[in-house]
Amino acid sequence: MSRLIVVACGAGINTSTIAEDSIKERVAKEGFSDVEVKRILMADMEGYLGRTDLIMVVSMMKIFRTFDVPVFQGMPFLIGSKQEKDVLLDKIVEAIKKA
Amino acid sequence: MGFLSTAVGWFLSLGSSVIVMIVLIILGLVFRVGWQKAVRGGITTGVGLAGLFLVVNVIVGALQPAVAEMATRFGVQKTLVDVNWADAGIAWGWPGVAGLIVSILVVNILMLVLRMTKTLWTDVWSYWHGSALAGFVWALTGGNVLLGILAGVLYLVAGSLMSDLTAKKYQEFNDMPGIGVPCGTTVQASLFAMPVVWLLDRIPGLKDWDASPEGIKKRFGIVGEPGVLGFILGVIIGIFAYGTGTGDLGIAKILGLGMNVALMMIILPRMVSIIAEGIVPITMSIVQYMRERFKDREIYVAVDCAVLLGHPAVMASTIILFPLLVLLAAALPGVQMLPIASLAVVPFWAGAVVPYTKGNVVKTVIVLLLYAIPFMYFSTWTATSHTAAYQMMGQYGDQISQGLKLASWDMGGDILGTIIQGVFHLFGFGA
Repeated sequence: MSRLIVVACGAGINTSTIAEDSIKERVAKEGFSDVEVKRILMADMEGYLGRTDLIMVVSMMKIFRTFDVPVFQGMPFLIGSKQEKDVLLDKIVEAIKKA
Repeated sequence: MGFLSTAVGWFLSLGSSVIVMIVLIILGLVFRVGWQKAVRGGITTGVGLAGLFLVVNVIVGALQPAVAEMATRFGVQKTLVDVNWADAGIAWGWPGVAGLIVSILVVNILMLVLRMTKTLWTDVWSYWHGSALAGFVWALTGGNVLLGILAGVLYLVAGSLMSDLTAKKYQEFNDMPGIGVPCGTTVQASLFAMPVVWLLDRIPGLKDWDASPEGIKKRFGIVGEPGVLGFILGVIIGIFAYGTGTGDLGIAKILGLGMNVALMMIILPRMVSIIAEGIVPITMSIVQYMRERFKDREIYVAVDCAVLLGHPAVMASTIILFPLLVLLAAALPGVQMLPIASLAVVPFWAGAVVPYTKGNVVKTVIVLLLYAIPFMYFSTWTATSHTAAYQMMGQYGDQISQGLKLASWDMGGDILGTIIQGVFHLFGFGA
């Protein structure tokens, strides 16, 4: 079964695209062939939380709630240096390995 | 000269989705993203643009007869068709878009070097607001690309200055050090909120009145989902348009309109997101370049307004605002567009206002009800140049010649955008 990472932002248009792009590139490089990265609207989140294949939430906004799966704040993808981006990607890869 | 104008004419006749593909591939090669990414980005964006216009076609076909029917039955003049983010199609498809991108990059770097702004405008996607306005002015001036670019740059420069004023507040409230949001639609709402909130805080009784965001979301949250909201609005308009005397056929038409409006609410942002999917990877290299260039200065790195939507009061206020805004637009005399697709912009307004109301739902709703009024009138006033821009890009020519008029809040009703268009009117354009 495939494993799902959702990248959530306000409209599912711009900021989540930027994060999705970076995560997808890294996931491909690590060779996780079963990991699907999907960008969604924050408003659609409820529909995904029930899914058993969900392993991670990356949010482009400040998060005011809790989830059952690991959550990462994706701001470094927008404004971080290359190094800060890599640190976050390393953490994401760690979490994928554990999931 | 003759050859040049023939060549330009031929290029423009290719249609906006082909043009944007070629322009993006060239931009991608100039910014050295590699030809694979450039080609993929160019084609993806072209497809998104073509898809966007397809969706608008469907909705125009469904909504226009309905609003026309309402007009003949009840005499309500709400005949403008709301296409809202289809304006992103004007923004990325009008002939001057590449010129605008390069111009604002140069102007922004100059302003940073001269310390006129702290905002490093890296959020290339959000240039679209300025670029859509540029498209309107291009249409308004009878096809003057340079004046269009001038208008767009003015709008975007104003955005970066307004971002300087709001950045600190956004950073604190959302816990995001170093960011700024120069997106015009958003920061204008913040500037508007400042005096209004100050006033509200001085009205006894109102000061501490609040509603629980979680409670509102639990009870009415489903209305905040675009598809459900669209279906409900479509059915309501359908009832007014086809409600009496047509029997089974009437019900079929009413339900059909509900589905079509729901389709627009769900598919339109998806199409915009396909456009972004093409553009974002190509422009990421610009972002990287500019960020490294200004590493050791205190600057605000521009991000999309979507990052401001995290607070629960944002969606709660939005849900309350949806019906109120539709009723207000229906009631105000002279307002000719019933907001449907344009409601999609409301959460972004709320995201800009919530830091100033400290997450108070009641105050946020009051501020935005007032803020929306100019948008309602301005979208009516700018419908002509707005429609002309679509026509000049070769979209909906037949329907427009039969009287179709398109309008929107974002960017058609934008306050600063309307002022800039007004200045061009003063200089005798589009009179």
